[in-house]
Amino acid sequence: MTAQKDFVVSMQAVNKWFGKHHVLRDVSLGLAAGERIVLCGPSGSGKSTLIRCINGLEGFQEGTLTVCGATLDGTQERLAEVRSHTGMVFQNFNLFPHLSVMDNLTLGAIYARGEPEDAATERAKGLLERVQLTSQTWKYPGQLSGGQRQRVAIARALMLEPEVMLFDEPTSALDPEMVHEVLGVMEELAQSGQSMIVVTHEMGFARRVSDLVVFMDQGEIVEAAPPETFFSAPATDRARGFLGQISHAT
Amino acid sequence: MTEAPASYATIGGAPARLPPLGSTGFLARLHKRYFATPLMSIVTIVLAAITVWALAGLFRWAIWDAVWYAPEGAACRDAAGACWAVIAEKYRVMLFGAFPYQEQWRGGAIIALWLVWGVLTATNLFAVSLRLIGWLIVFIATIALLQGGIFGMPHVGTDLWGGLPLTFLIFGGTVAGGLPLAILLALGRRSQLPAIRFLSVATIECVRGIPLLVVLFFAALILPLFLPDQLNVDKLVRAEIGMIIFFAAYAAEVVRGGLQALPDGQEEAAKALGLSYWQRMRKIVLPQALAISIPALFNDIIRAFKNTTFFSILGLFDVLGATKAALQDPNWVRYGLEGYLFVFLLYFLICSGMSLYGRSLEQANARRGRKVER
Ligand SMILES: Nc1ncnc2c1ncn2[C@@H]1O[C@H](COP(=O)(O)OP(=O)(O)OP(=O)(O)O)[C@@H](O)[C@H]1O
Ligand SMILES: [Mg+2]
Repeated sequence: MTAQKDFVVSMQAVNKWFGKHHVLRDVSLGLAAGERIVLCGPSGSGKSTLIRCINGLEGFQEGTLTVCGATLDGTQERLAEVRSHTGMVFQNFNLFPHLSVMDNLTLGAIYARGEPEDAATERAKGLLERVQLTSQTWKYPGQLSGGQRQRVAIARALMLEPEVMLFDEPTSALDPEMVHEVLGVMEELAQSGQSMIVVTHEMGFARRVSDLVVFMDQGEIVEAAPPETFFSAPATDRARGFLGQISHAT
Repeated sequence: MTEAPASYATIGGAPARLPPLGSTGFLARLHKRYFATPLMSIVTIVLAAITVWALAGLFRWAIWDAVWYAPEGAACRDAAGACWAVIAEKYRVMLFGAFPYQEQWRGGAIIALWLVWGVLTATNLFAVSLRLIGWLIVFIATIALLQGGIFGMPHVGTDLWGGLPLTFLIFGGTVAGGLPLAILLALGRRSQLPAIRFLSVATIECVRGIPLLVVLFFAALILPLFLPDQLNVDKLVRAEIGMIIFFAAYAAEVVRGGLQALPDGQEEAAKALGLSYWQRMRKIVLPQALAISIPALFNDIIRAFKNTTFFSILGLFDVLGATKAALQDPNWVRYGLEGYLFVFLLYFLICSGMSLYGRSLEQANARRGRKVER
C-alpha cells in the first residue's frame, strides 16, 4: 500500500447512484501531491459528479474517499476538514453578487477559518495581484467580465490555501477571447506546484500542464495515461471517438 | 451581362428636424389618449361628467355645508353637511382609547415617534442596521410609555391601552416577531430533516387554512380555558401571538419564493468555502433572498397593519374600536360617518405610505438587478 499522505486525493471503488441511475461505477483514482489530473469525457459521463464528490458537494453510496488524510465518514467534522483542504472553481463562477470582490475573497477566510479581518484582507490583496485584478478590488461581480469573474473565483478558492484545487469546466461559460486569460492563471498556478484536478475540454491546456489525463465514459474510467500517450495513441475506441469529436469542434 | 435592376435606392437625405406640429405635445397626447375614436370621446365625456358631479356633491357635503364647531352637537343637528365637530370633540378618545386623560401625552409621544421614524426610514438616510436599531428603540419606548411605572410615569394596565398607540404596538409586534418566525418556517420547509420539514409545512398550511378571526378567538378566548393558571398570560399578549403566527405563515411563503429564486450555485459555492449552515444562511442566502422578497413582503406588512382592527372584536380598543366606543355618546351617535372617515383617512395615509415605500424598494431592486446580471 502506498503511504496515504503522499496522495492529496485518493478514491477507492467509489459508486454513486442518482435514483437507479448508476453514475459513478467503481471509480478509483489518486492525485499525488504537486501533480495535475485532467478529467475529460463526453457529456453526462460523470465528470462533474466525480469532482463534486471530492469536496462533499455530492455524497456517494459505496467506496472511500480520502483528502489529505481526512476520510469522509458522514460526520460534519470530516466534511469540514475535507472542505478546508479543497478549493472549488465552478463553470458558472458562482460569485456572491451582493458582495464586493474583496468580500467575496475574505468571507471564507474570516468565517470558516476564523482569520482576523486585516490578515485576510492583506492576503486577498496579494491574490488579486496574482490574478491581475487589483484595480477591481471594490467592484461587484455584476460589473466584471466573464474572464474577470472566473479569475476572482480562482482567487477566492485560493484564499483557503487548499492542498488541492478542483476545477469543473472553468472556461466553458466564457467567450473565446476570455478563455485565454483564465487558462493563463491556471497554468501559472500549475507551475507553482499546486495539486489540481481539472475537468476541461481544452486539450492544449491538458497537454501543457497535466501529469495524467483521465478519460471517463458512462460513469467509468475508461483510460488513464500521461498526455503524450493519451493524445498520440489512445488505447480505446471510445477515447479515439471522443478525441475526434473534440478536435472537430475546435 | 446582367440587366440593370428595376429596384432602386436614392442616395442622400435631409438634415435632422423636429416632427410636424400637432403630432406631439399636450394637445396631441390628449387627443390620442381620450378622444381618438367617437366611442372613446363618449366614454371620456360621460366619466368626466360623473366625476364632476360626484366631486361637487362631496365638496358641498364635506366643506360648503359642513359644521366645524358644535358644542354638545347642537349645531350639527340641522346642518345639511358633514359634522366635523365630532372629531374636534372626540379625537382624544379615538386616538388614545380609554388611556387615562392626564397621561395621554404618552400616547401622543408614541404616535410622534412612529411617524418621525417611519418617515426617516423611508428617506433611506440611514444604513439598514441603524434603521432596524431605531425601530427596536421605538418599539421598546412604545411599551415603556404605555406601561409606565418608570421615570415617574404612573403604571397603566393593558386593559386601558388603546387607540393608535395600541394599533402601532400590535402592528410592530406582529412584524418584529413574525418576520424571524417566517424566515425560520421558510428555511424549515427546505430542511433536510423530515421532522423539521413536516412541522414547518404543517404550521404554514394549517394557519393559512384558518381565518384570522378564528385564530384570534382561539388565542384570546379559548386557549385560557385549557392552560393552567400560571401559564396564563395577558389577553393582549395571547392575541398578539396569534397575529404573529398568522403573519408568519403567509410571509414564510413569500420568503420561500425568494429562497427559490436563488441559483443553487450560491449555496454550493458557500459550502465549498467551508461555511457552516447558519453562516451560509446569514451571509449568502438570506441577504439575497430577502432583498428579492422584501417588496412582496410589504403586501403582508400592510395587511398586518389593517388586521390590527380585528382586535376590537376581542374587546381591545385599537383605533377602530376606540372610535366605535367614542361614537356611543348619544350627543354624537348620528355622526358615525364622519368619525369613521377620520379613521379611514388615518389608515389610508399610513398604508399608502408603506405601499409607496415598498414600491420604491422594488424599483431599487430592479435597478440593482440590471447592474448585477448573473
Ligand atoms: N442532481 C442530479 N440528479 C439526477 N441525476 C443527475 C444529477 N446530476 C447529474 N445527474 C446525471 O448524472 C450523470 C452524470 O452527470 P454529470 O453532470 O456528472 O456529467 P458530466 O460528465 O459533468 O457532463 P457535462 O460534460 O455535460 O457537464 C448524467 O447522466 C446526469 O443526467
Ligand atoms: Mg459537468
